[in-house]
Amino acid sequence: MTVSGSKTLLPRRRRARRTGLRGLVYIAPAMALVIAFFIIPVIFTGWMSLHNWPLMGGTRWIGFRNYVRMFHDARFMSALQFTAYYTVIVTIAIFAVAFPLAIFVEKQRRFVSAYRTIIFLPVVVGLATASLLWVWLANVDSGFIGPALKALGWVDKSPNLLATFDSAFLTIIVMVVWKIAGFTMIILLTGLQAIPAELTEAARIDGASRWQRFRHLTLPLMRKTIALALIISVTGSILAFDQFYIMTSGGPQNRMISVVYYIFNQSFVSFNLGYGAALSIALLAILVAISIIQLWLLRVREEKP
Amino acid sequence: MIKRLLAATSVATLCLVASASAAEKVEMWVRTGVGDAFKKTVEAYNSSHESQVAMTEVPFSELVQKYATAIAGGQAPDALSMDLIYNPAFAAAGQLEDLTDWAKSLPYFNSLSPSHVKLGSYHGRIYGLPLSVETSVFAWNKDLYKKAGLNPEKAPASWDEITANAEKIRALGDDTYGFYFSGGGCGGCMIFTFTPLVWGSGADILSADGKAATLDTPEMRQAINIYRNMVKKDLVPAGAASDNGVNFLSFTNGKIGQQSLGAFAIGSLVTEHPDINFGVTLIPGATGGTSSFAGGDNFVVTKGTPKIAAVKKFLEYIYSEDGQKIMAKYGSLPTRGDIAEKVLQGLDPRLQVGIDAIAVAKTPYTLQFNDLINSANGPWASFTNAAIFGDDVDGAFANAQSEMQSIIDSGQ
Repeated sequence: MTVSGSKTLLPRRRRARRTGLRGLVYIAPAMALVIAFFIIPVIFTGWMSLHNWPLMGGTRWIGFRNYVRMFHDARFMSALQFTAYYTVIVTIAIFAVAFPLAIFVEKQRRFVSAYRTIIFLPVVVGLATASLLWVWLANVDSGFIGPALKALGWVDKSPNLLATFDSAFLTIIVMVVWKIAGFTMIILLTGLQAIPAELTEAARIDGASRWQRFRHLTLPLMRKTIALALIISVTGSILAFDQFYIMTSGGPQNRMISVVYYIFNQSFVSFNLGYGAALSIALLAILVAISIIQLWLLRVREEKP
Repeated sequence: MIKRLLAATSVATLCLVASASAAEKVEMWVRTGVGDAFKKTVEAYNSSHESQVAMTEVPFSELVQKYATAIAGGQAPDALSMDLIYNPAFAAAGQLEDLTDWAKSLPYFNSLSPSHVKLGSYHGRIYGLPLSVETSVFAWNKDLYKKAGLNPEKAPASWDEITANAEKIRALGDDTYGFYFSGGGCGGCMIFTFTPLVWGSGADILSADGKAATLDTPEMRQAINIYRNMVKKDLVPAGAASDNGVNFLSFTNGKIGQQSLGAFAIGSLVTEHPDINFGVTLIPGATGGTSSFAGGDNFVVTKGTPKIAAVKKFLEYIYSEDGQKIMAKYGSLPTRGDIAEKVLQGLDPRLQVGIDAIAVAKTPYTLQFNDLINSANGPWASFTNAAIFGDDVDGAFANAQSEMQSIIDSGQ
């Protein structure tokens, strides 16, 4: 028994090993890319973060002192705080605009592809280009928004939108929503279109109201899509840099320094590459943690029903 | 016929190849916002010399980090026009070519601007030589003065007078303003035009040894009040609050009554905006006296460049009388003391005010100039914006004072 059993097992194991090898060969190009452009740079960044590493001149091993410094760095803490604030506000704003838009363009109606195209158009503009465009729109004298408000008679004097925190922040949020909402809309649209029409019809026959159908049918069936859109939006917001650098150079009185902006400043303005590397590793850890939490939250809910 | 044509073209091609290999092209970077003096000198040099200089303009606020990253990446230009306050840091990092022996062999070495040479020296060796000299001065628009019923030939001597004049000019109409400054976190603009108010009154923002921040003085409070008052009275365009230096030369649009500028701007105004009728004088201190910021650029050479001979030839041209004359015409004050008078002869007399300013001018000496002052996110840049436009002046003073001190301490 045992002998015959092992005899039949052996070739199968060998075959399994062979297919495993073949699989490895198939994914080798992808692995090579990931290793060359992600794993090695991350390891190198980690190595740099353990040094006092100026942009010019010699490096010196300092162990974990860069990481200790981080916890006493008030400017880093305020950068984290601002980034969190921005991420929450902008994500809510993007979803508040993108979801209704997705529902609007999902139904087959006249000109629907024209609507989709128009809403998606800002997405293909680069973020830096969009930021520059909005710097002009928000310019107090030669721009559009301020002078237009004045021409309409809503304000006595053209306001300098980028001069105070609240108005500058609002301008940036509006710009980012204008720029990104189309992309989120497309993702949500694919989720909406994946819901079988029979289900909605059945719910309607059962007498479910429009809100009930949305709450108990559409939303649960879109969990995966929402998770994807959410992770893309949150990750993108945490890594925000261009808009603050270009539109407000860090904002009135440095109140718009995001984490990436701070890392840039430390590395290439103050030339502390080592400290910048340590901050990058910390940011990577934060991003990984947030993504895991998001995935975990949405997966648990999915298995409930 | 065809044969002859072929021969002619091949000879021409040969000539092209020959001249291309003979002419070395020196790559050189220069910062923006310093007027046209250097650009015109390069043009004149290229049209009269075989070896050529290729000039690249880099935004002034990013030149330091771009140059440092280029050095680290092995892509640095052969030479650079470097804001002289950064010269010590780069020389200390061992990234610049030692020019000592060649510099000392120049017959006019001893008459080169001494403060530039001092900032270009490190441990007794010379790594930077003067390229351009600039001081900050106060300019007023004579046409607007006349329209406002003021005496266009009388230079204002105090900030009370400047404020009163600004009010009269503002009364002229909608988009005519009495005063302008780049207050949106432009540390470089503000150290250049605003600190003279404090220096003129005898105070300073750093202690003499550079080891303590001395921001919160009665003189600085007074200076901030002067600017705050003008902003509150709507004498300054609203755009000033977010101008990070891009519109520093707003005076050239002819709708600004008064502004503190640099000698480079005098050159640009004279040569490119001849329609603007303006006068210049020294910047009054907040509580009396006058002062100015003495700045400018040093010419530095990247260590190990193979084109050192061509670079030296170009620099010798800059120091020649022709070169100095072109530089001065566009607002860069002469760097060679021995021929300064000859160079300025026949040029705009207003440049003389820029020269007079040197006597009362200061330059802060610190290795952390970028972190403290020039960086758009440094304490000085945010202080000027918060104190002049913000609601909490005391808070702005306290924050900037402690942040500057902590940057100084971390660099010791």
